[in-house]
Amino acid sequence: MLDRDLAAEVLRAARARGGDFAELFVEERIGLSVRLDDGRIEEVTTGQDRGAGVRVGHGASYGYAYSNRLDRDALLQVAEAAAASITGGGPGTVVDLRTLEPPVVHEATREAAGVAVADKVAWVREADDAARSLSPEVRQVASTYGDSVQRVLIATSDGRWAHELRPRIRLTVSVVAGRDGVIQTGFHGPAGLAGAEFMEANPPARTAEVAARRAVAMLDSVPAPAGEMTAVLAPGMGGVLFHEAVGHPLEADAVHKEASVYRGRIGEVLASPILSGVDDATVPGAWGSFSFDDEATPAQRTILFADGVLRGWLYDRIRAGTDGVESSGNGRRQSYAHPPIPRMSNTYILNGASSPAEILAGTERGVFVTSLAGGQTNPATGDFVFGCSEAYLIERGEVTTPVRGANLIGRAIEVMSNVDAIAADFDIWPGVCGKDGQGVAVGSGSPTLRISRITIGGTGA
Amino acid sequence: MPELADLCATAVEAAEGEEQVEAYAEERTSTEVEAHRGEVEGLSFSGSRGVGVRVIVGGRLGFAYAADPTEDEVRATVARARENAALATPDEHNVLPAAGPIEPLDGLFFESLAALTTAEKVPVALEMERVATTADPRVAKTDAVRYGDAVGSVAIASTAGVRAEYRGTGCWAVVVTLAERGDETQTGHSFKIARRLEDLDPTSVALEAVERSARMLGATKPETARVPVLLDPFAASSFLGVLAGALSAEAVQKGRSLFASLVGERVGSEAFTLVDDGRLLEGPGAEPFDGEGVASGRTELLTAGTLNGFLHNTYTAHRGGTRSTGNATRGYRSTPGVGSTNLFVQPGERSFEELLRQADGGVLVQDVSGVHSGANPISGEFSVGATGLRIAGGALGEPLREMTIASTVPEMLRAIAAVGSDLRWFSSIGVPSILVGEMTLAGI
Repeated sequence: MLDRDLAAEVLRAARARGGDFAELFVEERIGLSVRLDDGRIEEVTTGQDRGAGVRVGHGASYGYAYSNRLDRDALLQVAEAAAASITGGGPGTVVDLRTLEPPVVHEATREAAGVAVADKVAWVREADDAARSLSPEVRQVASTYGDSVQRVLIATSDGRWAHELRPRIRLTVSVVAGRDGVIQTGFHGPAGLAGAEFMEANPPARTAEVAARRAVAMLDSVPAPAGEMTAVLAPGMGGVLFHEAVGHPLEADAVHKEASVYRGRIGEVLASPILSGVDDATVPGAWGSFSFDDEATPAQRTILFADGVLRGWLYDRIRAGTDGVESSGNGRRQSYAHPPIPRMSNTYILNGASSPAEILAGTERGVFVTSLAGGQTNPATGDFVFGCSEAYLIERGEVTTPVRGANLIGRAIEVMSNVDAIAADFDIWPGVCGKDGQGVAVGSGSPTLRISRITIGGTGA
Repeated sequence: MPELADLCATAVEAAEGEEQVEAYAEERTSTEVEAHRGEVEGLSFSGSRGVGVRVIVGGRLGFAYAADPTEDEVRATVARARENAALATPDEHNVLPAAGPIEPLDGLFFESLAALTTAEKVPVALEMERVATTADPRVAKTDAVRYGDAVGSVAIASTAGVRAEYRGTGCWAVVVTLAERGDETQTGHSFKIARRLEDLDPTSVALEAVERSARMLGATKPETARVPVLLDPFAASSFLGVLAGALSAEAVQKGRSLFASLVGERVGSEAFTLVDDGRLLEGPGAEPFDGEGVASGRTELLTAGTLNGFLHNTYTAHRGGTRSTGNATRGYRSTPGVGSTNLFVQPGERSFEELLRQADGGVLVQDVSGVHSGANPISGEFSVGATGLRIAGGALGEPLREMTIASTVPEMLRAIAAVGSDLRWFSSIGVPSILVGEMTLAGI
């Protein structure tokens, strides 16, 4: 993409006025997507993007600039702009760029770009057919297939030189089901850091059936009850809650701005003693994984909670520098157009000792949440709200009537402390997490777990 | 670097035979300054440009885009779009709009903004941070203080004869403050957008965030009750976003709108009139033409609660046997969808203070969370988290947190008792305070 001599020249220009370090991030991304809606292949799109960003770090602050152009003149201009915010320093050094070995490589065994576009069109058709044949109540199906390869090169003034190829693939299905004026929706969208082999392991028909079954099941739903009660979260869903309500306040930028409910509380018991959780970018082929983060720090596994005890933060380079520690490898960015900030990768609650059958059977009355529509958290207060797109009542240990319009509302520390049972049936839920206007691929994961008391917002009795 | 208009012309010249080709090009340079603890925490400069090409052959649509292409790369992009078209389902409604007259729209571009230097922008963020951390003893910290601006231009050309371009400027201020008392922390947000710095008033943004965080200190979870709910413009704007999705003809034609069969019917209170106006300069979304080169216009979607129609681009208009309303929205990385330009609730007569008196015994909701996930755009059902303040004796009282509001969009529209005169813009959505008759606020 760029030779070492030019990279070193750009880094030297970026350090012309000093600063603690300079970093060059070069990226090329090529992608293809196929969108089916209303039974028609609406659109086949190919996209090609490239650019380079230069950052100069100085204490807790930074300057950043980027350009679409990769020629020498454009890169030197970008370096000069990034250096503009640094004042009163002499030129800084750039040490020899040395290739870093990745701790883990996420390789496509079958490159998606090598698969004929016609075959990809057939995948979304397969999803459409499978969803429609599941039930005559399926009214509408939309399915999108997408693959991309992001080629990254990172060079830093302290000598990092890292290359990575990140192949991403995803097929999503949204289904609308209707009956007598009642309309419900269902969604499913497995995703991986992988090649076309991912589609063999996750056949489109199966993805479509999951989405269609969700939509059809919710046609029988009654308004959710409101008030405090027990909630059992299906595999993966506890991970979504953990990501939003716990993970975001553990990102070091929130902590440094004193906008984290966990600030200054490392070592305290702030979750149930049966709960352990990690952020792990090394999981092979997982949607939120990578070999290096976007600052060329090798991917790693960070323990967030061990038996309920808060253990650590998620760091990028600048915040780690301020605290005098090593980065945890969580400096990520959406693209060359954005400076890196602390972000999660794959955030998982680890398996416990119960079984899902045991957990449900031991629940007298509550709500069983099988799909969350997403949520919002205020990291400073820990307050969160989650919409449930698929949920059921639990009555005398049995999963009974589906309920709609339910949301989970609470505060992170209290709710995580109320987890009183965790099963061993771990599963994941891929997503795109938005923060400060940047979207990055993240994985959430958990086994079935139970929260003894949480507020359910609903319209029913 | 080639001009945007020249890149578009190159794409159109590459058309073969009967095929229709359209190129849409964008360019944008932007600066953001982030301030924290009296210093510049982040200073970002960006420059990006790109071209997206649609090729339609026999009703089949293909699309491809490229970042900062040369003229040769534009021709290669046309070729890729052509290959993609061969795999799509033919659809007679895939057509490019014919070129029509476009009235220029003056007042989108300000040289004074385009000419600002970094040295002039940095103090704006620093001053906002200073005001935000010194105006109230309970508010000494900020979560985010950001000044940003952008200069952008758009060009479009097609084999149907469209040739148009325009440029614009914009700037914005974002402040998120932290109010503290003992162990308790409350956050407050504020935001403003303008076309030039002279109209931004960043100090007022900082002061508003301070007030919104400080007044939430001591918030408690209330008892569940059915009370009048006054949505302030911040809270109301969240709901308007959901409504906007349901008023797109694309959602209607795909069976994804709760308003599909309700044209001509009363769907909301008489107090509620909703307009999309792409030529309204007060709105940040103003543009002379849309993402397909169709002239922007004014569409009254709801008049005194009665639904008149939907927003259209060329595809949905052709399919629905009507005319495009000039609401094709896009960037160079995507094909045109349907979206609002400046979508706003027609302001009413009453001031915020008058609405407070009218809502006596109720609750002012200042923030709702989870609307994007908690609202079903098809059924209109929603259940969201809310924070706010009690209204007692026509004034704001004790702060409340951890409330949920569950209802449906149609129910809420019908229950609107009054709309305030305090219209405010949030990116391209404009809303005043809205008094909803009675809703259930779930707490303990």
